[in-house]
Amino acid sequence: MNKKSKFTFYLFLLLGGILILQILYLGSEQSMTENMREKKVLFVQLTGLPDLALYSNSNYIRHRSLSLPSDIYALDGCLREYDSATYAINDSTIASLK
Amino acid sequence: MKNKINIYLMEYALGSILRQGHKSIFIAVVFTLLSALLTSIFFITNSIKYELNTTVDALPQIIVQNTKASRVAEIDINSVDKLLNLPGISNVNARVWGYYYFANAGVNFTLVGVDEFEEQYSKTLGNVVNTGKLSSSSMLIGSGVRDIMNSSYYKDYFNFIKPDGTIKKVEIAGVFDSDIELESNDMIVMSKDTLREIFGIQESKATDLVVKVANLEEINTVALKIEQMFPNARVITNDDMKLSYENIFNYKSGIFLALFVVAIFTFFIIIYDKMSGLSSEQKREVGILKAIGWRVEDVLKEKFYESLIVSLFAYFLGVILALAYVYIFNAPLLRDIFIGYSDLKPLFKISFVLDFQTLFLVFFLSVPIYIAATIIPSWKVATLEADDVIR
Repeated sequence: MNKKSKFTFYLFLLLGGILILQILYLGSEQSMTENMREKKVLFVQLTGLPDLALYSNSNYIRHRSLSLPSDIYALDGCLREYDSATYAINDSTIASLK
Repeated sequence: MKNKINIYLMEYALGSILRQGHKSIFIAVVFTLLSALLTSIFFITNSIKYELNTTVDALPQIIVQNTKASRVAEIDINSVDKLLNLPGISNVNARVWGYYYFANAGVNFTLVGVDEFEEQYSKTLGNVVNTGKLSSSSMLIGSGVRDIMNSSYYKDYFNFIKPDGTIKKVEIAGVFDSDIELESNDMIVMSKDTLREIFGIQESKATDLVVKVANLEEINTVALKIEQMFPNARVITNDDMKLSYENIFNYKSGIFLALFVVAIFTFFIIIYDKMSGLSSEQKREVGILKAIGWRVEDVLKEKFYESLIVSLFAYFLGVILALAYVYIFNAPLLRDIFIGYSDLKPLFKISFVLDFQTLFLVFFLSVPIYIAATIIPSWKVATLEADDVIR
């Protein structure tokens, strides 16, 4: 084995090592524990509102059970904000400038 | 012995990669970025799906809402007794909840009312709140709500403006645990009575009804019966909710598909460039190798090793970068597709899910294609006579 081959071998070993360590670290630190899962289920059971507090301009993204049929139209007149999915979120700062 | 890795060919392949210098680096960089992007996208969607699926079984079995002129309207509490008379229904709970627009910060809070003295609720709340206990004059808030309130100098209480213009002062009793931030970020939980006061909802009305069915098989039948009993009711079963999750992901998939197509397209341009033939220098190299006695098989093996080293290196590096990007750095830029531009956005701390399907998918979409794109043109040249190639 020449120097280049040894270097490549060690490089792949290093990559594999980093990957395994990363997976082990994330598995122990970032994965959902049973306790977390229990809390999430309890909270959703309590409120009955399962949706995540995320938003992406899509309709019904937040608490879809209280959306209206007309919410699918972006210019629904019942809203104070400028688009239809802003029940849970702020409107755009740029769009709010009048 | 024939299939054993030929270390000399491997060394030659390494030398060839290093000789090509900038070209090898460019391909490795593009390949790494591509696999990192694809893997990140799949990691994010998988983790969010996992988050949603975790709580999917905790969904109410049936939600009954009243509609008036196609708009959701308050429902009469008397409907609870009517529903309880239906065979199959074991429990009906009248919920009071809604959105409160805090104009100062331009955000909407989700307010949910609970019966604070019911043992079941106090036990549940105790598990999901860091400190503090709910009382008739206090509320529990999500961490996003706390930040927004703090920025408006509401540290210990918040003044809600009631429909009649008067103010309802509610103390902040506690903040929801950071473990449930994705669910509770914009939520405020308080007693039903306080909520009725803030929203101006009468005692005889509720926002909607949650129906519990004794036999899970009967959910759809019961939902049908409720629809017949209340023709203007909007009856939502947990299956409808699950289906709407799918719709969300179909929408998300559209965004991702666009990114995916761009990424794949870039990759295929590189592949096409490689497929379209070897450079004259590379052809001469193959010709010389053949002239000094290399067989077609040896040339192909060498090219295989060459492409395998580059593509595997890029793939592994891409996966490592994607894992760090999504789970350690919380996916900057890409997370905006999900959380938008809201001032009430949660930390994008999604749970780590090791999805081998994703890893295999990205692997098979990239590594074998690249290897094929390297070997096929080499095979075309290697099968020619050596003097034809050199000349």
